[in-house]
Amino acid sequence: MRVILRRRSLNWLSKTYAFAYRNYIFAKRNFFAFTEILFWPIVGLLSVGIMGDFLNLQENTLAFILTGAITAGVLQVVQLDVSYSLLYDIWSKSIKHTFLAPINQFDYIVGSWVVGMLRGAIVFVLLVLFSANAFAFSMPGVLPTLFFLTGVFLSALIIGMMVCLLILLYGQRVEVTAWSLSTLSMLVSGIYYPVSFLPKPFLLFAYLIPLTHFLEYYRAWYGFPPVFSHSLLTGLALSGLYIAVFFALLRFAFERARRTGMILRLSE
Amino acid sequence: MEHAIIAKDVHKTYRSGFLGRRQTYALRGIDLAVKKGELFGLLGRNGAGKTTLLNIFSCQLLPDSGSVSILGTDITKHNYSRVKNRLNMCSGSPNFPWSLTVEENLKFYALLYGKCGRECAKTTSYCLETFGLQEYRKTRYDQLSSGNKQKLALAKSLINDPEVLFLDEPTIGLDPDIAKKIRTFVQTIHREQKLTIILTTHYMKEAQELCERIAFIKNGQIQAIGTNREILDITHARDLEEAFIELAE
Repeated sequence: MRVILRRRSLNWLSKTYAFAYRNYIFAKRNFFAFTEILFWPIVGLLSVGIMGDFLNLQENTLAFILTGAITAGVLQVVQLDVSYSLLYDIWSKSIKHTFLAPINQFDYIVGSWVVGMLRGAIVFVLLVLFSANAFAFSMPGVLPTLFFLTGVFLSALIIGMMVCLLILLYGQRVEVTAWSLSTLSMLVSGIYYPVSFLPKPFLLFAYLIPLTHFLEYYRAWYGFPPVFSHSLLTGLALSGLYIAVFFALLRFAFERARRTGMILRLSE
Repeated sequence: MEHAIIAKDVHKTYRSGFLGRRQTYALRGIDLAVKKGELFGLLGRNGAGKTTLLNIFSCQLLPDSGSVSILGTDITKHNYSRVKNRLNMCSGSPNFPWSLTVEENLKFYALLYGKCGRECAKTTSYCLETFGLQEYRKTRYDQLSSGNKQKLALAKSLINDPEVLFLDEPTIGLDPDIAKKIRTFVQTIHREQKLTIILTTHYMKEAQELCERIAFIKNGQIQAIGTNREILDITHARDLEEAFIELAE
């Protein structure tokens, strides 16, 4: 029994590692992957930070919007890696060979997410160091930061899974969601403003997005009381629920793609 | 003799356009049985349904109706995942992740089949050696010649030591010398590893040279099935090319 379990774990680790390995090589070899880590996040942070200086913002208000800029950079990088789990294969038209192997949705999502988290952690450290030097930004503490970062990684995982689901259902024409879904979720989750400033009908949407709660949790340490209660717990509970639902939906989408021939069309 | 593949009354229709109103009938009641260790050829015009059938056999496409059993597993049911470990496929004009080198590509696919550590390294280097790709191991996929891309495709298709191998026009668009090498590889692996191989091709000479039995498909239906000799007898043709023309008309 123990031998079977060990073999199964090794098998799963091997398949998961395959996607992490491939994403890592793509990230290492392609210039656009490099710009995703350095160029866009720093440009975003600089423009927000300088705007804060121009507006003569108080220290905690500046920290509020800088948190948003840092989150935007990290979220985008991590969710892109999860989306790339299918997109790399679609761009190289090799998806049929990948799905010919005995893999499932856990393998390609988790493997790509691991590399995404590594890249995201690099972006986070760079942006925090940069904003500390340029705008005197300081973190509230190691533990709250780790909880917050975990929340951002989970939010990115959900967005990436949603992109993969849409691709399996509708094909390459929806690949643009890899760049637009995260921006849309940031807009509703109050990336640069408290969600109380959103029009009333959007508050429910904001509540349903885990990122809202993780941002509120972190910003509470800078003296901004959360709009919704139990931020961290709500964020984690919602994330857990969405991740479970999306794994089930990805399984369904793959079987549907097998029926419609979508996998083969994506390889042509 | 035991069968590697049994297909019964397989139908497949592709739906496209608004609400799937446009329908293309790809397969109309295919019945086929391929013995274990057999090198079997599927011939037919473009759009006859050969590739659709291979895609169904390789678990990438689900038929609308009928049953397909691969190595004893009904792949139209939900428990087909395990059988995927025992089969593989090589397509003509292959595509693989372009940023990865030949060696990295093989490693990626070996890992996908659960081969890790020493086993992964051993399999990768065996495939590189068998297909003469050692000197290209550090070459990126997008920098390979068509012949070497095809060799990589064949090497990848053996990465999991499959029992059933699907070859979809493996020599299409290749120079005659490379095509001949590929045919020799196919014969060798079939002979040495006792693989069940299903081959689709447009080259009748290739089918005649490699296949033990052949099925002609036209409009999603099998027109004729048998050994080379039997096909020639049925069609009263002198060679497979004549038989093809006769059956395709």
